[in-house]
Amino acid sequence: MAKAQNPAPAPAAPGPTANAKKYAWPEKPVVISTRVKRLDGPDKVAGRAKYSFDISRPGMIFGKIVRSPHPHARIVNVDLSEAGRAPGVKAALVWKEAGAQVMYQGDPVAAVAADTEEQAIDAARLIKVTYDQMAHVATVEQAMAADAPKIFESLQGTVGNQRKGNVDESGDLDAGFKAAAHIVEQTYQTHVITHVCMESHGCVCEWDGDKLTAWVSTQGVHGTKDGFAQGLKIPSANVRVITQYMGGGFGSKFGPDAQGLICAKLAQEAKVAVKLFLDRKEEHLDTGNRPSAYAKIRAGVSADGKLTAFDAQSWGTGGAGAASGFPLPYIYQFPNRRRQHTDVYINAGQQRAMRAPGHPQGCFLTEILMDELADRVRMDPVQFRIMNLPTAAPSRAWGDYFQQGATAFGWAKRHATGDPTPGPIKNGFGVSAHQWGGGGRGGRAHCDITSDGSVVMKCGTQDLGTGTRTLVAVLTAETMGLPVSAVKPEIGDTMYPVCGASGGSTTAASISPAIRIAAGKALDQVFAKAAPQLGVGADDLVADGGRIHVKGNTSKGMAWKDACKLIGTEPISVDAEWEDGLSSTGTSGVQFTEVDVDIETGIVKVKRILTVQDCGLIVDRLTAESQIYGGIIGSLNFALFEDRILDRVTGQMVNPNMESYMLAGMSDIPKIDIMLVDTPVQRARGVIGIGEPPTVSTASSIANAVRNATGATLRSLPLMPHKVLAAIEEQKAGGTL
Amino acid sequence: MAQKNENEKSERVNVGRRTFLKTAGVAPLAAGVIGGVAELEAQASRVVGPGEVPIQLIVNGKRLNLNVEPRVTLLNAIRNKADITGNKRGCDRGACGACTMIIDGRTAYACSTLAIEAQGKQIRTVDGLANGATLHPVQQAFCDRDALMCGFCTPGFVMATVALVEKYPNPTPAQVKRGLDGNICRCGTFTRIMEAATSVKGVARG
Repeated sequence: MAKAQNPAPAPAAPGPTANAKKYAWPEKPVVISTRVKRLDGPDKVAGRAKYSFDISRPGMIFGKIVRSPHPHARIVNVDLSEAGRAPGVKAALVWKEAGAQVMYQGDPVAAVAADTEEQAIDAARLIKVTYDQMAHVATVEQAMAADAPKIFESLQGTVGNQRKGNVDESGDLDAGFKAAAHIVEQTYQTHVITHVCMESHGCVCEWDGDKLTAWVSTQGVHGTKDGFAQGLKIPSANVRVITQYMGGGFGSKFGPDAQGLICAKLAQEAKVAVKLFLDRKEEHLDTGNRPSAYAKIRAGVSADGKLTAFDAQSWGTGGAGAASGFPLPYIYQFPNRRRQHTDVYINAGQQRAMRAPGHPQGCFLTEILMDELADRVRMDPVQFRIMNLPTAAPSRAWGDYFQQGATAFGWAKRHATGDPTPGPIKNGFGVSAHQWGGGGRGGRAHCDITSDGSVVMKCGTQDLGTGTRTLVAVLTAETMGLPVSAVKPEIGDTMYPVCGASGGSTTAASISPAIRIAAGKALDQVFAKAAPQLGVGADDLVADGGRIHVKGNTSKGMAWKDACKLIGTEPISVDAEWEDGLSSTGTSGVQFTEVDVDIETGIVKVKRILTVQDCGLIVDRLTAESQIYGGIIGSLNFALFEDRILDRVTGQMVNPNMESYMLAGMSDIPKIDIMLVDTPVQRARGVIGIGEPPTVSTASSIANAVRNATGATLRSLPLMPHKVLAAIEEQKAGGTL
Repeated sequence: MAQKNENEKSERVNVGRRTFLKTAGVAPLAAGVIGGVAELEAQASRVVGPGEVPIQLIVNGKRLNLNVEPRVTLLNAIRNKADITGNKRGCDRGACGACTMIIDGRTAYACSTLAIEAQGKQIRTVDGLANGATLHPVQQAFCDRDALMCGFCTPGFVMATVALVEKYPNPTPAQVKRGLDGNICRCGTFTRIMEAATSVKGVARG
């Protein structure tokens, strides 16, 4: 952590380090890039994997939080007395004191812990909170109205619930619009969705004197440990955080949060372990969301199809006092452009990073505009996009991917506009592109090899379901010439070397170099032990097929286990950290979608999706593909189903559950084809990360496919049936051209 | 938790079964009824609760003697009182399917089933499927096809798939859709669950 406090200035052009050269990724890998089954699969399918939600400790009791039912109120009084006398209650606390304000429905106020979950729920109902209700704003329109109550003006730079950002401008806007043969001026928008992790946020906290052990559902064990230390004002060394298995995070689980600190305090007071996991309603209200995004855009295109100008006012809400930024315009080159973004605050739970934060919004706003512009110049959407791409690079390979994808998808069969065939079911194709940084640095690893041949790779990272545990073993096994099953990966515990949180698709790229170098150095020590026995120098040895042998002479060597017997009683023990040259940053991809739209009901059925996606060196093809399937299906949900609906009068969430907050089921899943780019150029880039990119552009390509099917443009998500019907009616009435 | 279990394992075999038979008709009411006990007793029904009552559940072929309030769900009883945690709680209101168990041969949302109502029935959870280190063919198929990511919904999907293939040994994609539409996966593993479910062969009818 010392490094984080004193960041050294980055060198201008960092090249591969000596270690990165020495331990470069193999040109002909044996395990890397193959399909390796998830190591923890058997434990997960058998129910043996203990998630933090499954942890049980001796004498453990259960915590429950009391939350504000109001979107905005001042707390007059919090009375714990009756709750304290309720059956089974062992601890109760006030989280927000009288006088403080609650800023959204679900803002935590107090908490209680009791012997059983049911008793804790009963006791929570007995906590008497008196509120003085205050004016609130439940929508961006209400918040931006001239007569809106000024709720957030205490925040720096905020006027009337709005915080205007700087104007971002380049080129000559006037000249750009003069060069335009056509101008499109429209408003586009995306909605708020919540993370809906299947395992809710929460933890089990247990104290041993002044030391805290917390089993947390978190995307960052080390960051959460520091969060507990700061929140509880105890030394970080007194905290241990464990996350062996966790049920999804998607960007919403980076610290202990209020519920973690409350759980720790309840456990302190009750003097026993406390389990506190949120229920589904609390999840929707208070564990983050993807902010909404709006943009009023004026954009120009020349007669020959070149983008000339882009002028946008954008806004969005990340809830009560949280930002709502997103990239705009997305990917495509507008030589002259201007944009100003305004954060709008409403009385709702704060946003958190959500799988590719900002990108799905910026992508949608831009990609729908792109199809509208392409229509004005009567160009094919794919050709139009290719014509307006930024300069090509290994991380910006959309041009090639558009062409490869279009061929594989059968894009040539797309009709130019509105399915002309008779009948209510209209078919259409859509396309979009995306990018993501990924990369990441700073991971650490520790490798132990003992004389019985055991290999343990310890890494203080965590597996969100991405396959990180498997990745640790794959890279170690590759390096040592061993089967994956011969490596024991140890992750998900702050007892292991410091690694960053798993966010931004940075885990693979930040830990892989450390693992490779730790494994390589440990292997060097095995070579040093074996070399004298074989009568050669350590540099003459290689490891493969479970053997240590002389380069080019497989018969002159020994089995791994025999080599390790030479280690003796003191195990080989090596630390390593991330170094430049084995990982990279920047991914690109494109997606094609085919839909059927029933123009009588407005129901959109996605038939198939094809993606071309790069991610540098593929570590495990099987789990990489799973990430892509998952990202696409996540974005299908964003496009068609999920929507956090706040009652515009009461400011309360209408659908804080999983039956009216809708998500796709098995019947909603289209055929998905993945073209994972595996070329020498991509392999040479090293490990990057694939968690986020595939989820960026699906919603855009679905919306463009609906447009192609119906001839009507939907400029806002989600693509609910009533909106599809309304857009078709508007189109029939003359459209908005 | 280990300590709690010890206390609850006191022998009370069959009490639960008898209680269940008598209270089955009024179970949904029982938790809420405080007065009127005499009246109900006069109708030859026994009111239980609202405090903890002894129950017996048959989970994965083993009898469990537990003390739970009548309002406790089957899922919470098994998880919190018996530390059988394979099946998960996602929504707690019968929408996500992470808690799916097989009760007397039919899938059921254990979060929306009262523990006292499940007495005397054969309850199967994901924890009981594997035979030691040998996975059930459905579990193996999920591993082979990478039909799981975070894995939190997986126990429910596995149970729903087991029930499906016991009914339709070689399910068609249409049958898989119908059979698994009551389960939600947020990581987005549906494509591979479909592959897994349609690849399972040779599961005996349950």
